[in-house]
Amino acid sequence: MSNKLTLAVGGVAAVLLIGLAAVLIFVVGGGGGSSSSSDGTPAASATKSSAAPAASGELRLRGEDPLFLDPAVAQDSGSALYIVEIFSGLVRLDRDLKLQPDVAESWDTSSDGLTYTFHLNKKAMFQDGRLVTPEDVKYSWERALSPDTGSITASNFLGDILGARDVANGKAKELTGLKIVDDTTIAVTLDAPKAYFLYKLTYPTAFLVDKRQIQSNPTRWTQKPNGTGPYKLQEWKLGDHITLAAYDAHHLGAPKLKTIRYDLSGGSSLVDYEDGKIDVTGVGLDDLDRVQDPSDALNKDYVQTPRMSLDYIGFNTNTSPFDDPKVRQAFSEAVDRKKIAEVVLKNAIPVANGLLMPGVPGYTADDKTYPYNPDDAKKLLAQSKYAGKMPEITLAESGAGATVGPTTDAIVQQWKDNLGVEVKVQQAESGTFFSDIDNGRYQMFHIGWIMDYPDPEDLLDILFYSKSKQNNTRYSNPDIDAQLLQARTEANLEKRLVIYQEVEKALLKDAVWLPMFFDTTHALVKPYVQDFQFTPLIIERFRDVTVSR
Amino acid sequence: MTMFGAETGESAAAGRAVRGESLTRRSLRRLLRKKLAVICLVVIAAFYIMGAFAPLLAPYSYSKQNLDNSFAGPSLDHPFGTDRIGRDMMSRAIYSARTTTIVTGATVATGFVLLPVVLGMLAGYRGGWIDAAINRTGEVLASMPGLPMLILISATMRPRWDRWMGHLENGLHWDGLVSSGFADYFLIFGVLSLFGWVGGARLIRTQVLALRRAEYIIAAEASGATTSRILRQHILPNVMPLIIVGASAALGGIALSEIGLTFVGVGVQPPHPSFGALITEGAPRSVLEHHPALLIVPASIVAALIFAFNLLGDALNDVLTSRDS
Amino acid sequence: MDGLAGYILRRLMFLPLTLLVVSFATFYITRWGPGSPISVYSGQYRDPEAFARVEHKYGLDKPIIQQYGIYVERVVLHGDLGPSFRLRDRSIPEIIGPKIWVSFRLGLYAFILTFLVGIPIGVFAATKQGTWLDPFAIGTFLFFQSIPVLVTVPMLVLVFAAKLHWLPPGGFDGMFSKSMILPTVALSLPGIAGVARLARATTLVSLHEDFVRTARAKGLDELTIMTRHVARNSLVPVMTTVIGLSMVGLLEGALFTETLLGIPGIGRFIYESVNGRDYNVIQAIVLLSAGAFVLANLVVDLALIVIDPRIRAGRVR
Repeated sequence: MSNKLTLAVGGVAAVLLIGLAAVLIFVVGGGGGSSSSSDGTPAASATKSSAAPAASGELRLRGEDPLFLDPAVAQDSGSALYIVEIFSGLVRLDRDLKLQPDVAESWDTSSDGLTYTFHLNKKAMFQDGRLVTPEDVKYSWERALSPDTGSITASNFLGDILGARDVANGKAKELTGLKIVDDTTIAVTLDAPKAYFLYKLTYPTAFLVDKRQIQSNPTRWTQKPNGTGPYKLQEWKLGDHITLAAYDAHHLGAPKLKTIRYDLSGGSSLVDYEDGKIDVTGVGLDDLDRVQDPSDALNKDYVQTPRMSLDYIGFNTNTSPFDDPKVRQAFSEAVDRKKIAEVVLKNAIPVANGLLMPGVPGYTADDKTYPYNPDDAKKLLAQSKYAGKMPEITLAESGAGATVGPTTDAIVQQWKDNLGVEVKVQQAESGTFFSDIDNGRYQMFHIGWIMDYPDPEDLLDILFYSKSKQNNTRYSNPDIDAQLLQARTEANLEKRLVIYQEVEKALLKDAVWLPMFFDTTHALVKPYVQDFQFTPLIIERFRDVTVSR
Repeated sequence: MTMFGAETGESAAAGRAVRGESLTRRSLRRLLRKKLAVICLVVIAAFYIMGAFAPLLAPYSYSKQNLDNSFAGPSLDHPFGTDRIGRDMMSRAIYSARTTTIVTGATVATGFVLLPVVLGMLAGYRGGWIDAAINRTGEVLASMPGLPMLILISATMRPRWDRWMGHLENGLHWDGLVSSGFADYFLIFGVLSLFGWVGGARLIRTQVLALRRAEYIIAAEASGATTSRILRQHILPNVMPLIIVGASAALGGIALSEIGLTFVGVGVQPPHPSFGALITEGAPRSVLEHHPALLIVPASIVAALIFAFNLLGDALNDVLTSRDS
Repeated sequence: MDGLAGYILRRLMFLPLTLLVVSFATFYITRWGPGSPISVYSGQYRDPEAFARVEHKYGLDKPIIQQYGIYVERVVLHGDLGPSFRLRDRSIPEIIGPKIWVSFRLGLYAFILTFLVGIPIGVFAATKQGTWLDPFAIGTFLFFQSIPVLVTVPMLVLVFAAKLHWLPPGGFDGMFSKSMILPTVALSLPGIAGVARLARATTLVSLHEDFVRTARAKGLDELTIMTRHVARNSLVPVMTTVIGLSMVGLLEGALFTETLLGIPGIGRFIYESVNGRDYNVIQAIVLLSAGAFVLANLVVDLALIVIDPRIRAGRVR
């Protein structure tokens, strides 16, 4: 009996001992992080000295294994990061997101806007030294659209080309809208004079791939791809590291940065950065406080870049109660987004003032969204046709466990407090979530959208055109449809943007979405890395970087 | 062979026909004599009572937020402080206890008492093809890697399950079936039981096999008693100790499983709180560094509970199996 | 020996059947839910027609039974576990091989540490039986067993990595690097109590046997039989339980530890594969672990038979 008691005492003593040790450590360690010790030398508290000194011209990063390096098929951002360096297309976006020549050195547009004639750069080569020909363009695009390849995005990005539909359905093998004019010229005819066509060509699906390589090694060519981009895949050890090496004979000039090495083995990026093992790192919400503190040594390396993505709540306009615009508006006005950004997210990301993000043509800085107004929200709800007989409402979001919680919890609680409506949160793992959105199963859902190219069509048309497959809110408004159709083929850029701005205002007024936040990348960049730029979209970004240690 | 000293003397009772009741009563008496066991029982009982009466005991709702009061330290209003969005930690802990109570209770009752008893006794006593069938089924179930299967089933079946439960709710007018989280618990405990009964059944089967040869059983068979009667009257009481020990050991494991499942996202869904949720929220480095209480509070409660289960299991083991022959 | 050899043979014959049932169940469950590897991988572009096309290309729109038949045929006749839907240019053994190797070594480390610490503690406790040190030693580790891995890892990381900077907070630098220390410790902690108790019990038995030998000389026959009987009785379930629990605990703990510490092992990969609905990978991993489990079970059962004659009598008909 006293034995058993001692046993329990043993357990408790263990706890106390641990607690004592922890307290001692906290007290002695000063309760601070790593480098904020008083002696000021940044490396003082790092236990590891810098890894073997890296050469100048080599950039070291942490990364994830790409899933699949086929530009026509790959869908995840992890793969995209490498694909945009290894492969390229006819046109590209520069750091300011302006359209620039790439494999095509110039192009002419026909007066009716239907035909683009691309003149290929005569120096453009694949990384094995072979010159790029119009046949390569034809092959790459037809392959991307072909059902055998299994690309999901091709019909969206290449679907405006005449004959694309037939190739995608397997009815034809060739694109009727493609015509090879001569050794270095190819003409592309669209089904309508779409102004955003060139932007779509900046997306990986339209990148060029090597026919010879694919035909000789159909299943494994992606392990050592031969692309037209500024960097070659030099080495890839699964789970260990990836090295990209500059392709000096690139037609746009040899890249200044010679090598990029990604460490794939997992671990803490920030710690590696502090230890000097990597040169650039992202900063997560957890570490943001520290990094933003001016007295912290890391603060001088801190940079912030906006990202073109929007976090929003979408309302299914086909189901109750959100078929009533008053209800949608009430729910929109009942959320204090600024407060949530402040308290839950530490203001790490900006509150959305519209649907279009900064940097997208057509963006305006004024706040076009419904302001926080709980009284008005209550009134609207009472006026709606569901007053007093609200059905049960569920907010769906994708996520794993409690980690996604705080923002959504806060939103739900505000609805409860301000509207008296109890909303249930349903977390679904991503497969189910996206599938169910496709099927229109949810009343409302919390999700995000990332721009693929800097044109308002990529959001307003794709997501709100009534017949669009991406229209997850099932929203159907003939006026907006008409405006969108008009904007597709409007040749004058200013007029186009004005149309899109009107559409944006109308959509916000109709409260189809509740836009929550835009996004910001927080990062640290070592001082010896120059011209490193985070881009709002995933595009190539290493070419002009220099590293001088 | 016991850990805390052999209880000699009484062990000479082996071989004598044991009648169910007196064994239980005797064991209970002996158990209660051990101080430590009593303490454990009290701790466990306190926990379960806290869970059962959560709505009455908790000062706040588990989801009531107050963004102005995030990460507050302990105070009279909030003895355990508040979390990131201002929810009272003590209330959340109490309601989490309720979740654990429900999940462990249901799972143990089904997967660690009911199923092992029935299946283990059948397999051991009847033998033959029933034995083989139960054994093979158990082997198949047990050979599936538990956690991945749980994640898989939860991921793929949950949406359908939610829909069925929704229909059930509408059909039977059991309102609140889904929204109260009951449907959630059901899925979890169902899956845990499905994969959990094998170990217990196997142990019981072994025991039954041994008992089968005992003289009094053969005598009962000879006198024409039916299988179910023999099982009920003679074998079950002798198998009870194993069941109880097994169940008490399992309780701790199930509480841990729930935590793991919630961390991975397939456990109890928000907004229903559970210790898994609290621990997951308190574990990230930034939170832990500046507000360690958010992790320490739920972790301590869980650790204390499981510790109590472990110790109790030991004591039970002592009390009940030292008489084994 | 026909009994024993025949028994082994009969058990082994069940292996393919078990694998078949397991694989069929897994096959069905993975395909039952909404979402396919194609639509999940697709990210934010939803094009149901395109999904249908690609799913057709991979034969995912056929009836499940038919798909299963094709799968079995491919595995059994060609040894081809199928393509991974996520990493499409690699074969499944190529992908999961290294990961299993990482997890296995980590598990081995943890297992060794558990015994390395547990046995001395157990023996120590046995020698101090009767004093307070005995239950205290075991009790401490029993307490550690009660703390979930999800708690120990963040706390260890906080103390040893964030504050003291003695150890890296995760990642995988190779099997002999400092990055292996934290996960090994975290994984081994829960198992130590069980091993310690086992060691303690064994030590006490041998202590008692000495006592018994002298006791027998004094003619206490009944006691002898009792002790030996009881020891055999309790040792076997304890042994199987302990080893079984450690392995199971390791497997499950591994998933959390790997995820929290960013270790590229199979635990984390299973989770990613389930989320990504990578059917063939899930199938392969489940089959592998089921096969290993069945074989391990067979070994343990054989040990049981050898040790405990009663079971042998009841078992082999």
